[in-house]
Order: sequence, then C-alpha cells, then structure tokens
Amino acid sequence: MDDKRRRFEAQALPHLDAANNLARWLARSSADADDIVQEAILRAYRGFDGFRGTDVRPWLLAIVRNCFFTAAGRQKRDIPLPENHDTEDEAAFVDQSPDPEALAMRTDNGRKLNLLMAAMPVDFREVLVLREMEDLSYREIAHITGAPIGTVMSRLARARALLKERWLEEVEGVRNAVQ
Amino acid sequence: MLCNEAQRVQAYFDGELDAGASAVIEQHLAHCAACAALIRDLQSTRDAIREEGSYDRASPKLRSQVSDLLDRETGKSGFLSGFVPRDKAFWLGMATGIVPTALAAALVFFVYLGPTPDRLTADLMSAHLRSLVANHLIDVASSDQHTVKPWFAGHADVSPPAVDFPKENYRLVGGRADYVDGRRAAVVVYRHGAHVINVFAWPQSGSSMPDILTRDGYHIACWKNGDLAFCAVSDTALDELLALTRLLKDVKA
Repeated sequence: MDDKRRRFEAQALPHLDAANNLARWLARSSADADDIVQEAILRAYRGFDGFRGTDVRPWLLAIVRNCFFTAAGRQKRDIPLPENHDTEDEAAFVDQSPDPEALAMRTDNGRKLNLLMAAMPVDFREVLVLREMEDLSYREIAHITGAPIGTVMSRLARARALLKERWLEEVEGVRNAVQ
Repeated sequence: MLCNEAQRVQAYFDGELDAGASAVIEQHLAHCAACAALIRDLQSTRDAIREEGSYDRASPKLRSQVSDLLDRETGKSGFLSGFVPRDKAFWLGMATGIVPTALAAALVFFVYLGPTPDRLTADLMSAHLRSLVANHLIDVASSDQHTVKPWFAGHADVSPPAVDFPKENYRLVGGRADYVDGRRAAVVVYRHGAHVINVFAWPQSGSSMPDILTRDGYHIACWKNGDLAFCAVSDTALDELLALTRLLKDVKA
C-alpha cells in the first residue's frame, strides 16, 4: 500500500463516522448520506496532498458539507424531510441502546428529539451537530460552514432556543392530550 | 427575557472565553437570573442531544465501499501498482538464494500456524464492531469504578482497573465480558465525545501483540502492565486514544 493511502487511512478514515453522521443529518436519508460520504472521501483523497493543516476532521467535514450542497443543488431541491415518519429511516434515527430501560425511554424522548432536530432548517441542524455532537470550536465550525464566527454564534443561539421551544411544545402537547 | 450578556454567556458555556472573560461571566451569572436560566437551558439541550441524539456511524457496508473506492483510486495511479509485491522481503529472498527463501517459507509457516497478532487484531476489531452494532456495548453500566471493577471478579478472568477520567473527558460508561483470541477478556468501556473506546484486558501470556495499529479507520493500541495485557480499540483520533492509554498506564493495577 502506498504511503499516501496509508497516511489517509491513519489520519482521515478515523473521522468516517463523523463524516457519515454529518452527511446523515444534512441529507436526512441514509442512502443519500452514503453517496455524499463516498463522494467526499474521493475528493478528500484526491486533495490530501494539498492538506497542510494538523486537524483532519474539520477539513473532511467541510468537504462533506460541500458535497451535500452540491448534490442538493444538482437535484434542484432542498431534500425535504419525508412526510411519512413511519419509515425505515426514522427507525434508524432512533439509536439502539444496550440497556433495555434506556432503550424504552429513548424510543419515546429520543425519537421526538431526533425528529425535532431533523425538522429544523439546515443551517441550524449543522451547527447543532458540529457543536454538540462533534464538540468542535466556533473557529472550526466557522471554517466548515464558511460563515463568520459571529454568524456561527448567533445561529447556534437561535438553533438551541428553537430546539428548546419546540421540545417544550412537544411535551406540553403530549401533556394536554393526556388530560 | 434575554440579557445583553446572553451571547457571551453562551460563549462561556461553550468554553470559548479566556480565563479573564470567564471570571467576569461567572460573576455576572451569580446575580443575573435570566443568564443563570440560560446556562441551565443550554446544558439541558446539550445533555439531550448528547444522550438521545442519533449519532449515525459509518456502516460496515459503507466502510467496505470506501475501501473499494480507495482501491480503485490507488489502482489508477499506475498499471504496475497492483502487481508490485506487498512483501518486498519475501521476493528479495526468492531472488537472492535458497537460504533466505527457506527462512521466508518458515516464517510464512509460522505465521500461518500460531496465535498471531493478525488473529488478535481481527478478534479485537470484530469484538469492537460487535459492541457498536449488536446491542452489546455494556453488561454493567456504571461510571463508578467500585461497581465496575468488582463486577469483573464474577464475570471475567481478570479484574482490570476501571477508572473514570472526567477532567480529561474519558468517561467510564461500564464494563463487559468478551472473547478475544480464544480467551475471556474483561472490557472497560469509555466514551470520549461521541466515540466509544473499548479497553480489553486479559492475563498476559507472552504472545505477541501489535504496538499501535490502524485498520479501516480504527486504531488499536496495546500494552502490558503487571500481569495484564491491554488493548484499546476505537475510531477516535490516534492521539486521543494514546492519551487514554497513558492515563491507564499510570493507574496502579
């Protein structure tokens, strides 16, 4: 195996889960996410010689994001959330948990949370995924999204506030229905 | 009602402020009810996403697709690249005479027979992947070493240290019994950010282990400590995996 391939496997492929997770949250479909990740890996590999930074993850995630928007633009649509929530895709949004008790709770609260997040605008979804799931800094998120840091901060604040608001509506709605 | 400081409070929450600015915000939080409530909201949103949010890992299918993709891409770079022998030493042996050839053959035979690092690696990889996909990450879920360590006494052949490292963000989530290389292994499970790290431990037997190895985007780091052999497996960055191994090496067995 040549040296470039070896370096790429050691430095970039550890972030394949992160790439897949971001693609999945952007595209909201596992089939589209698979295509996006493969396209992104190919582009990343071809551009790997030009990569001069130290942290591969933000670099790779920026490529994933570009591939998503290229694909979304090519299809001339913003890839809407499937109307029918009762799909295989939704089941996949609800993570498997090793603990049956946690699993029972997760199938309820977790499903709601994941659906609420999936229903948010793409600008909000991506900052939530990058900040809360990937634990990336404002600077790294700004690099990935191509937005100034101030914009990242305000999007993050609005995304968090909106998620909390919709979560409360959801919980209140359930409570009202029970009464 | 949001206070004017809301954005800086968020930056403080996200660890983006330096020590001086953080101190100012901490003072502010002590007497601003709106910002204190904001911090609680930010924390509960974060907890909800980190605990309940679906983190969609690359499937084994996608991993093999990516591997094929890179094979095709590297194959393209030259007609001969696919035919160049991987083990140059072997071909060199073939070329330079009987004795080296015999040695190479003996080596192949030995590698073929014994319990090898390769088999160990394959076992570790499949145990790690199984733990991620097969609903079998932990048998005993606890961040308390006084729960996890004694659990091993009844369920595995060894009882490795199970220490939580909250400051370094390597969180102990539990333990599990698993099989590696035909032996019962105790597995201490950590979470680091969104990543799972399985730390396998079994009685040392002198069989060879890789030191550090990367396969399909997963890193494996092995070491020995006292009577125990350890291997940590994860898809975190290698540096982050090695940081945990350093912490564990410092723990008294």
